[in-house]
Amino acid sequence: MKTVTIDPVTRLEGHGKIHLFVKDDGELANAYFQVPELRGFEKFAQGRPVEEMCRITTRICGVCPDAHHMAAAKAADAVYGATIPSAARKLRELVYNAFFAGDHTTHFYALGGPDFVCGPDAPPEERNILGVIAKVGLEAGKAVIAQRARGQRVIEIIGGKKVHPVTALPGGMSKRITKEEQAEMIKIGDEMVEFAKFTIKVFNDVVLANQQYVDLILSDMYTHKTYNMGLVDKDNKVNFYDGQVRVTAPDGSEHARYDPRDYLEYVAEHVEPYSYLKYPYLKKVGWKGFVDGMDSGIYKATPLSRLNVADGMATPLAQEEYEKYFETLTGDRSGKTMVHSTLGTHWARVVELVYACEAVAQQARDEEICSDKVHEPPTSIVGEGIGIVEAPRGTLTHHYKTDENGIVTAANLIVGTTNNNAPISMSIKRAAQGLIKKGSEITDGTLNKIEMAFRAYDPCFGCATHTLPGQMPLEVIVRDADTGEVIATRRRNV
Amino acid sequence: MSDILILGLGNEIVADDRFGYAVIDELSAHVPDGGIVEAVFAPLAGFGLLDFLKDRYAALIVDAIMTGNSSPGTLYFFTSGHLTPTRHLCGSHQISLPAALELGRKMGYDMPKRIDVLAAEAEDITTITESMTPAVESAVAKAVDQVLAWINEVSAEVNNVNKIAAIGS
Repeated sequence: MKTVTIDPVTRLEGHGKIHLFVKDDGELANAYFQVPELRGFEKFAQGRPVEEMCRITTRICGVCPDAHHMAAAKAADAVYGATIPSAARKLRELVYNAFFAGDHTTHFYALGGPDFVCGPDAPPEERNILGVIAKVGLEAGKAVIAQRARGQRVIEIIGGKKVHPVTALPGGMSKRITKEEQAEMIKIGDEMVEFAKFTIKVFNDVVLANQQYVDLILSDMYTHKTYNMGLVDKDNKVNFYDGQVRVTAPDGSEHARYDPRDYLEYVAEHVEPYSYLKYPYLKKVGWKGFVDGMDSGIYKATPLSRLNVADGMATPLAQEEYEKYFETLTGDRSGKTMVHSTLGTHWARVVELVYACEAVAQQARDEEICSDKVHEPPTSIVGEGIGIVEAPRGTLTHHYKTDENGIVTAANLIVGTTNNNAPISMSIKRAAQGLIKKGSEITDGTLNKIEMAFRAYDPCFGCATHTLPGQMPLEVIVRDADTGEVIATRRRNV
Repeated sequence: MSDILILGLGNEIVADDRFGYAVIDELSAHVPDGGIVEAVFAPLAGFGLLDFLKDRYAALIVDAIMTGNSSPGTLYFFTSGHLTPTRHLCGSHQISLPAALELGRKMGYDMPKRIDVLAAEAEDITTITESMTPAVESAVAKAVDQVLAWINEVSAEVNNVNKIAAIGS
């Protein structure tokens, strides 16, 4: 294949655009997924007090405001060298788990799950929550709406506002909670656990009971043996709010376990000449192109990745589901054999949903969350801080540098989806291989299979979408690998 | 809950995506609290819209749009049944507005009988900034006038002409 150099002026750009480069012999040379990214964050942040970043960054993304709130708060803690009170840490983790419980619910029932609940061959207009209700029953819709409301209520109690939390700040939290609020959250947590059990049943009855779906999850079409990344607690259990970043190799061995402040020693960003997207990779392994394997530094940071890097779940029901997940997909319930099937991410999300619900029920019962001591005002400044949390769709990093007054001088974010830019492109290529030929027509079936490949990652461009006509917009553009010339296009909802 | 909802969508720190926020901000001076009209800005989509829309008689959604077919600042008005995609009527992580409405009806909610959309053609929706481009900025006042006219018309439908006279004054 000849090297294709595309003038930067004509860099690929657009919303949900997939570019497929086909060689003369019809073979697919490469596939790239393009989404517009918001620009100018660093400039916007410069000159503002770092404590404002906790509130401002919730506005960056309408999908994961809570994740940005927490990552920014942790980074701001580090800027001031602050150790927050134990009660504040517990409140942050509790509200964060409630956020996860709601977000994973939306994805499973409204976005990713319909591929399985309704079937991968169902028409796009049926592959949504209405299709799920048609298959599972009206109770599913009612349960999902009630579950979302529970998550929002916990965010309102602890975070101060339903949608964009405002209470985490350097040194802890700005709001205490009352005994009455605690009692309400205990009740909510218990209801969430019941919802988790309901979801397990839906998954068992509708997905696992259908061998065709299990075979689809395990099919080569959606398999990539990459490295995996995620936060773990001191016992190597999955943790969304805090811990060390653990990276495991495709063979399951530990590649790295590091504190968030050291992330630049482990992660670098590759840039391709044709794209504005950045492709993070593991520095110590190196960028070897869009390939998987032990020698390629490409990693995934997804629910599947978090289960791969962890030794288990910290709550009993989630642990049961973790073991069942690994046993079904690898034959080894210990979790030491990696799951590399991209579509397994949907199941991993269900396991995490169970954990988040159980964690809310457990943590809401902790008497310390009603403590008066939720904030320790910082008294000195370090001038640089890094905060990492797990966003629902991947590891989220906030990095700030400030002057001696805490005014931001430099800022950098690596958002969840960015981690997965390279794997997403690889998954699309794998799904498109054999389906896209030079001169062949791109069918709806082709679009479905390609859509499923990237939907599993739950890619986040809610903060940077263009026109969105009611469904995921998708445009597949087939180009000549040598000339870049467009030879076929297929659009849906664009 | 107010019968009539003016719902601004968007992102107040992303260039022309501020449009919905700016219109609601201007409008707030004309819409008294506690009346039959409520004007709110919400950076939401899908399920979130459902929460706002249920139990309303009518709603007007104000948002940015990017068709590439008109000059920036051009205003579009879409009526019920012709819901054209604006930036936030469907979030990629959410369900679409039509799906949200259908879901609401299936749940037995009282969904609006009328949902219209007022949208401005955007020029820049990827730069994080609190400033809109000049053409979109200048469309805000005109949009506010259109919203007030819409409120008048719809208020008549719900037989509250007297209250809307105060709002429009």
